[in-house]
Amino acid sequence: MTTFLQQVINGLSIGSIYALMAVGYSLVYSIMNFSNFAHGGVIMIGSYIGFFAMTVAGVPFPAAFAAAALGAGLVAVVVEKAAYGPLRQRKAPFLYYIISAMGASMFLENIVLATIGPDFRTFPNVLGSKPFQLGELMIGRLDLAMFLISSVTLALLVYFIEKTKTGMAIRATSYSERASALMGVNTEKVIFIIFIIGGALAGIAGILFGMKYTVFPTMGNITMKAFIAAVFGGLGSLPGAVLGAVLLGIIETMTSAYLSSTWRDLIAFGLLIFILVVRPSGLMGKNNEDKA
Amino acid sequence: MSLLELKHVTKQFGGLTAVGDVSLSLQKDHIFGLIGPNGAGKTTLFNLITGVYKVTEGEILFEGKPIHNREPYQVAGAGITRTFQNIRLFKTLTTYENILTACQYTSDYSFFDAILRNRRFKEGEKLLKAETEELMELLGLSERRDMVAGNLPYGLQRRLEIARALALKPKLLLLDEPAAGMNEEETLKLMELIRYVREKFSLSVLVIEHHMDLIMNLCDHIMVLNFGKTLAEGDAAAIQSDPRVIEAYLGEEVELGA
Amino acid sequence: MDYINGMIALIGINLLAVLGLSLLTGFTGLFSFGHAGFMAIGAYLTVWFSMKLGVNFYAALLLAALITGGVSLVIGRITLNLKGDYFIIATMGFAEAIRLILDNFQAFGGARGWPGITTHTNVVNVWLINLIGVVILVNIIWSRHGRNFKAIREEELASQIIGINVFRYKMISLMISAMYAAVSGGLFAHYMSFIQPKMFQIIKSTELTIMVIFGGMGSVSGSIIGAIILTALPQVLLSLDAWRYVIYGAAVIFIMIARPQGMMGGFELTPAQIKGKLAALKEKRTKKGVA
Repeated sequence: MTTFLQQVINGLSIGSIYALMAVGYSLVYSIMNFSNFAHGGVIMIGSYIGFFAMTVAGVPFPAAFAAAALGAGLVAVVVEKAAYGPLRQRKAPFLYYIISAMGASMFLENIVLATIGPDFRTFPNVLGSKPFQLGELMIGRLDLAMFLISSVTLALLVYFIEKTKTGMAIRATSYSERASALMGVNTEKVIFIIFIIGGALAGIAGILFGMKYTVFPTMGNITMKAFIAAVFGGLGSLPGAVLGAVLLGIIETMTSAYLSSTWRDLIAFGLLIFILVVRPSGLMGKNNEDKA
Repeated sequence: MSLLELKHVTKQFGGLTAVGDVSLSLQKDHIFGLIGPNGAGKTTLFNLITGVYKVTEGEILFEGKPIHNREPYQVAGAGITRTFQNIRLFKTLTTYENILTACQYTSDYSFFDAILRNRRFKEGEKLLKAETEELMELLGLSERRDMVAGNLPYGLQRRLEIARALALKPKLLLLDEPAAGMNEEETLKLMELIRYVREKFSLSVLVIEHHMDLIMNLCDHIMVLNFGKTLAEGDAAAIQSDPRVIEAYLGEEVELGA
Repeated sequence: MDYINGMIALIGINLLAVLGLSLLTGFTGLFSFGHAGFMAIGAYLTVWFSMKLGVNFYAALLLAALITGGVSLVIGRITLNLKGDYFIIATMGFAEAIRLILDNFQAFGGARGWPGITTHTNVVNVWLINLIGVVILVNIIWSRHGRNFKAIREEELASQIIGINVFRYKMISLMISAMYAAVSGGLFAHYMSFIQPKMFQIIKSTELTIMVIFGGMGSVSGSIIGAIILTALPQVLLSLDAWRYVIYGAAVIFIMIARPQGMMGGFELTPAQIKGKLAALKEKRTKKGVA
């Protein structure tokens, strides 16, 4: 029983990172109705920013953390302005956005590869290594930190979206861009904000993920897990993204522990296929038929 | 036996009932008009008949056989075609290509025939070309055959859409607001076209329209929908004098019709 | 194989996969980021048939293509009902799953790969196969089937209404594109003499899609030109893989914004047109000569 609970705890910590990624991705999807495939690149850049802040600039963890969030947010906005904004002006079909996103992803990943190099980087251990003990359960310090940081961040996000005026503008735009624009919502500003937020979330996820594992240029591929989590939970639904992510994290950790780590990723894809076949709208998505 | 029969058809989207318990009987060779305020469920009904939506409840019978819940291409095969409210032509293809693609329905040479360019392929293509030319001629579109559909004048686009639908040699033609955006002269021409098409191709027509002139002068039978439910049914005179219809459209007592 | 011949072979290998993808993306309007997966299956199956089972190289290619086609139908059954975004994620997911399975399938060498493959691929057979591929593709497109594909790309709903079995056609389009990718993979394996799952990552799928878009959707000649330019030019200009992809990435964004219809803009450069243009050019020259 304790091993089971132990795995649940481990699963929660990786799940919380997936949640940050999935929410950032779902946020863009809910407003702009396309999959931002450049998300992975932003996660990766956030990680590198955090890494260099801590090692080269020597700043303490909280500052590096903030730098990662801010930096990633900025990169996300730049990508938006360069790759998606011009398409919006031309009212391009959504498939153009996806191609552009792929291009942006390719660009980010490889510019890091070309300039900084392919080496894997390890974060210095700033939190100490002695795990916390809760009865018979061990909770790694980093895992606990990841879980706490993610939870706090998501709670702040929920507050922002539910209780603030800008949050309401975001919600309105996600229902209908045209209607909310007619009501006086500044759509451009809303888009700018969600990209900053999405990017910041990605940056935070990136630095945490980098600390748990390592930092390398193609780490953005982890965003595939974010997609799976978001689809699992219901594309466009933020609570769904969190739920899907946490469940994915737990399922993955269980698979790793009880089967093997090679099965871990395969199960994730199996889950994706299962959801797409059985209930494409996901756990919390609406079952909508397109109105022809 | 009616050509098309809807029996207690209901369509729900989540909590919204777009069409509620609608029953309808369309006789062969009739022109049946479907009117009602916007959002009354008329296009939804078309989508249900053509298989784009699946019914939540009820049955749809064509020539006595159930067609509800069939795939759209199967409904087309049974003999029902349609046009769309916002014209869905293949906009980057020419007039000729639009009709050709629809005529292909009866063509049956295989992929292998196409790859090998054998005799079946060549004869199939010749037949298609002939059919397309004939249809273009009949509907007065031959002059604009090489014009890209998206560049055609609006009235001709509508006519092309009808031509395309006719390529399948249907028994029932569904027209969704064919006169939208037309002035009086164009509407008259359209009415003539519909009558001509019914004669020439011996088919029945179910038409959604807001242009009352067209409906009242063209249709043998009219049904009024409101909020997804049948409000009234009958011939032109009956509908025009029905107070419920007048109220639904205008909310007060006013004379409808010419 | 020397540098030039190697380059020509590589162009041919990419071209074949691009031709298949052109049918799916350029003509039927379905975007897939999973074709590296079909290339991988084709590559490994071809190698298994030719190296382990001693089957003739060309027979091996054909068998691999047929089996990959079958696999694609299974995948299509599951994914083709899904809307745009979902379909793309699903294709990515399948390709990654295939790569993962290969990574762990020790009988095929696992992550370390399969070395020592006989280099059956040469400039002649690559281009012969491509020629056949082009002829088949063009013959399909200039037929009622090709027009059906185009109709689906233009207006899926209207296509249904005029009696096109859209699902069936999408499946066929996927199958043909998968078969082309499989043969491309087989040729690739027997050119590199060594294959590894990590040669078939998502970035490879993206590369292929970019070539189709660069050349212009709905144009076979565009896809051919796209494959040639985007394979040859970067190899010639840049030594480091990474910089090549940096340029690709930026170029794609630029194309989407500035000229999304690609180089050919949906038009075809047919042999008849080329003949015509050359004749016109000749005429101009002789006129100048006389004057």
